[in-house]
Amino acid sequence: MAAIGKSKAGLDKNNKYDRQLRLWGDHGQTALETSRVCLINASATGTEILKNLILPGIGSFTVVDGHKVQGEDVGNNFFLTKDSIGQSRAKFATEYLSELNEDVSGDFMEEHPESLLESNSDFFSQFTIVVATNLCERTLLKLGKCLWEKNIPLLICRCYGFIGYMRLVVREHRVIESHPDNAHEDLRLDRPFKGLVQYIDSIDLNTMNKKDHSHTPWLIVLYKYLQEWKEKHAGELPKVYREKNQLKDIIREGIRRNEEGVLEDEENFDEAIKAVNTALNPTKISSQIQELFNDDECTNLHSESSNFWILVRALKEFVENEGNGALPLRGTIPDMTADSERYIQLQNVYHEQADSDISIISNKVHDLLVNIGRGGNITDQEIKTFCKNAAFLRLVRCRSLEQEYSEDSDKLKDLSHHIDDEEPDDVIFYVLLRAIDSFYDKYNCFPGWYTDQVESDVIKLKTCLSKLMHDWGLNCMIKDDYIHEMCRYGASELHTMSAFIGGAAAQEVIKIITHQFIPFNNTYIYNAMKQTSVTIEL
Amino acid sequence: MAASMKSVLAENVREKVSSSKILVVGAGGIGCELLKNLVLTGFVDIETIDLDTIDVSNLNRQFLFRKEHVGKSKAQVAKESALRFNPDAKIIAYHDSVMSTDYGIEFFQKFDVVMNALDNRAARNHVNRMCLAADRPLIESGTAGYLGQVTVIKKGVTECYECIPKPRQKTFPGCTIRNTPSEPIHCVVWAKHLFNQLFGEEDPDQDVSPDTADPELTAEAGQTALESEAKENVTGGIERKSTKSWAQDIDYNPEKLFHKMFRDDIKYLLSMSALWKKRRPPIPLDWNDLPNTVDGVEVQDTIRDQTQWSIQQCADVFAKSLNNLKQDLAKQGDDGMLVWDKDDDAAMDFVASAANIRAHIFGIAVKTRFDIKSMAGNIIPAIATTNAIIAGLIVMEGLKILSGNLEQCKAVYLNRQPNPRKKLLVPCALDKPNPKCYVCAPKHEVNVIINTKKMTVKQLEEKVLKVGLGMVAPDVIIDGRGTILISSEEGETEENNDKLLSDFGIQNMTILQCDDFLQNYNLNVIVVHRDKLEDDQEYVIVGDVSELQAKIEAETNDKTTEENTNGASNEPGPSNIEIEEDDLMIIDNEEIEQITYSKKRKIDDDIEGTPTAKKMRLSSDNVKNDDDDAVIIE
Repeated sequence: MAAIGKSKAGLDKNNKYDRQLRLWGDHGQTALETSRVCLINASATGTEILKNLILPGIGSFTVVDGHKVQGEDVGNNFFLTKDSIGQSRAKFATEYLSELNEDVSGDFMEEHPESLLESNSDFFSQFTIVVATNLCERTLLKLGKCLWEKNIPLLICRCYGFIGYMRLVVREHRVIESHPDNAHEDLRLDRPFKGLVQYIDSIDLNTMNKKDHSHTPWLIVLYKYLQEWKEKHAGELPKVYREKNQLKDIIREGIRRNEEGVLEDEENFDEAIKAVNTALNPTKISSQIQELFNDDECTNLHSESSNFWILVRALKEFVENEGNGALPLRGTIPDMTADSERYIQLQNVYHEQADSDISIISNKVHDLLVNIGRGGNITDQEIKTFCKNAAFLRLVRCRSLEQEYSEDSDKLKDLSHHIDDEEPDDVIFYVLLRAIDSFYDKYNCFPGWYTDQVESDVIKLKTCLSKLMHDWGLNCMIKDDYIHEMCRYGASELHTMSAFIGGAAAQEVIKIITHQFIPFNNTYIYNAMKQTSVTIEL
Repeated sequence: MAASMKSVLAENVREKVSSSKILVVGAGGIGCELLKNLVLTGFVDIETIDLDTIDVSNLNRQFLFRKEHVGKSKAQVAKESALRFNPDAKIIAYHDSVMSTDYGIEFFQKFDVVMNALDNRAARNHVNRMCLAADRPLIESGTAGYLGQVTVIKKGVTECYECIPKPRQKTFPGCTIRNTPSEPIHCVVWAKHLFNQLFGEEDPDQDVSPDTADPELTAEAGQTALESEAKENVTGGIERKSTKSWAQDIDYNPEKLFHKMFRDDIKYLLSMSALWKKRRPPIPLDWNDLPNTVDGVEVQDTIRDQTQWSIQQCADVFAKSLNNLKQDLAKQGDDGMLVWDKDDDAAMDFVASAANIRAHIFGIAVKTRFDIKSMAGNIIPAIATTNAIIAGLIVMEGLKILSGNLEQCKAVYLNRQPNPRKKLLVPCALDKPNPKCYVCAPKHEVNVIINTKKMTVKQLEEKVLKVGLGMVAPDVIIDGRGTILISSEEGETEENNDKLLSDFGIQNMTILQCDDFLQNYNLNVIVVHRDKLEDDQEYVIVGDVSELQAKIEAETNDKTTEENTNGASNEPGPSNIEIEEDDLMIIDNEEIEQITYSKKRKIDDDIEGTPTAKKMRLSSDNVKNDDDDAVIIE
């Protein structure tokens, strides 16, 4: 982002986006501002999603829609007005949506996606992500195939009566900054590095004056008493509750007493005692990171490998060699009661080790780039961010639509666990929506669309459902109530449903664009009657 | 009416939708979304009220506003923008505070459903009481970053907004701020107070000079300090003059101000040697000899906001912002004053630089302007997506209420990511009213621990009744005697203001009958007198008598368990009322579209749907609490 703060525009932007920069940072904002989003069909749900992406400032958007505005569009779509009836929905929605944020450029394509896919499928190559609403099954599968081949993420969204549905299709989504909710600090008290040992050894708690004693960072205090404990226990760390309590007692004995023998108020010791429970976690590599190390993409780098996999490989080599089985040090320490001089010294000890780890990995990265003959650089900043987040890397691989729609998919067979019950969960609506899609495929309209045909549509829908379940090898019953309910909806798109999915879908799009936070994998269903939702991999 | 809805909503619901009158309280982040949703769901009779004007930082989510609207009324512009898109809707907009006496019970009774889209606790408390008094269903909501929640409140059927006390807002004792800061936030609060002392409204609670009444000082030490002050006159002889007029006399000279605040006052603090026996003493600074290095901090961001300034840079920013603020103040005319605003660059620069200089003096970690803005403005991150989701949920609950299915309404909590049970939304059954709630239970009674020999009538009114107990214009009579202590009629009891409660014979177990005519709310306050309160609080509100009893016993029986007792009583629970705000309120509520979750949330995710299964509370606490709900992914 143009955030060097000097120009008026830059300042304005900083102020305008201040509240969200605190969630995804400047680099997240930069990613957002350089993204290109394609929306297929300016339905109520579609324009709500775009609204929620234009406001935080995506780079550009393109609306692909071959429909003309109809009366019912005006009824549920905030961005279409009565006088737009009969005109291009793509054009009209784009004009109104563009007013939301002058920093976002909007464009439209007045064409049906079906024909676009046939005439010019390369059109879609320009986008960071494609969002599709209200597409029929056949077109959806074609689009899904096209984007899968181009490796462009696709988010499918749908509001059907009181049911909301989203499906994310992304081949491989890599998250470096997953923002874990409650991460442990990386302090290495169980396997202290040389710099830390040297620094703490240079400090003697016993000879300190009272003020220094009570302002020694708890990390040092804990480390000192931990050594005492280890000496008595053959070098082992306290592991179980009882042992940890023993260590706490040892620390407690270290608190100074005044002339009358009363314990002094030493906050840093209190903090050290508290930290026994949280700060002594053994340093280890999580199974998720181990899986990344074992992934083919990591073990077999090639000239097309992405930055992420090269970084993972460098990380793996570091762990196996210089790191002695540990990830690079994160290099940050928590706030604590301490005088700032020693706090900063301690901070520097961690910084220096982290920097040294980063520079080893950086060298590996550059060697790897040369070895595989891949062009393009990986910046120091990128390497640094990667190392700091090394414990939290995440990989999301979605199944393709083709896999989902293949009849022998195991996932389809597993559906019976969700629906074969007196109280089926919301996954049942996935099955019902699929039945509705085969209804549409067969009769070219949605069940219940014509109010006078609801009854006959119920029977037809039931037949579609039975066939589908038979094809999938499912032997369970779905209550008639559900079928009646789905017919009653008549494919209507309630605005407040669109508002909900509009918010939820835009949030996933932002996750994909910024590569921060973890998107769902791969299907999301919202039941507005019960205010419940569920995610399932299909 | 939207054509596509016809088949989804039952006919009676559609009729209700088109004939109902809805009040939307707040036209900000949630309010904008809500107005749109209501209009497009077919509601035609909507009123909205908001006191706020539009700020640049609203534009990333409040989609009814554009750049050219900055500075205008939110309610008015929201109405106009919504009508531009949908000319058929009828919306009445009030640019006003919902807490004003113009909006009494009759006003609330006009509506079928009241929907809150508010950003602060005081207004939420008030609307809660108005809806109880008017017997109208209220849908309460809030968002904070990725988190959000919606709940329904109906008199006699569900918990009210005040049935369960909210976690207290963090406040700091005056002497910590003035004498012995130990955390960055203490310096930030001090810097905001300094801003108000120099440019804003005089407030004795926001004094920034050394506090000689610090309980840590023995009488002697304080005396010594006072004497040395008399001799050396280190405070610049401004005792009888306000800080503001002194600053004006020296024309806001940065060097003089700097030396007063960061050299002379610090030297004076050093003379209170009792404070520094166990603490690192502060080091006074000299304007002409400031460190120009940034220690221990990585400088990587190129953005001004996120770069760590050296102390020399801080002093430069301090001087520059003083000059700008001086000019801003001059524009306000003779008796003008400035109101601190985190989005005003000069005001923010001033606080960021002053806080860092003070932090450096006390050996506290310095922070970037970006971080200080967060702390000083109590900024809660806010994005369009969460507000959109929550506003969608509000309308769904509204439809259930209008269809007469209140029993199907839920309290719904939005997670950051799907929780371990793969739920993004966690719906919970609505709880029954708390029979001991001092707001909605039939008998309104609350215990307040105070020192009657120290608290004045004015303090009782402003701090206990208005801030602590959420009243707007209380009348207070001493029970059994009929003495009118406080009257809401202007001027009637003004002479009582500065008298102590004990002057009126108020003592332990005296009952004060408090009545708020606007809220149609009366409350018996049972005075519990203590000579000394924990942590130097001015008052403590305890809802339940049995709990108070337990507290007293714990205190008297076993001093050593004191810590545990306190710890336990901090847990939010139905029978426990903690004070929310005391003398030093540091949190600006205005930014909060929001909520926080108390720690019980973790458990609740596992027992979804049972009546006891929700205890996340709406409150305007610090967003950091978000981490507590910490449910991970995948």
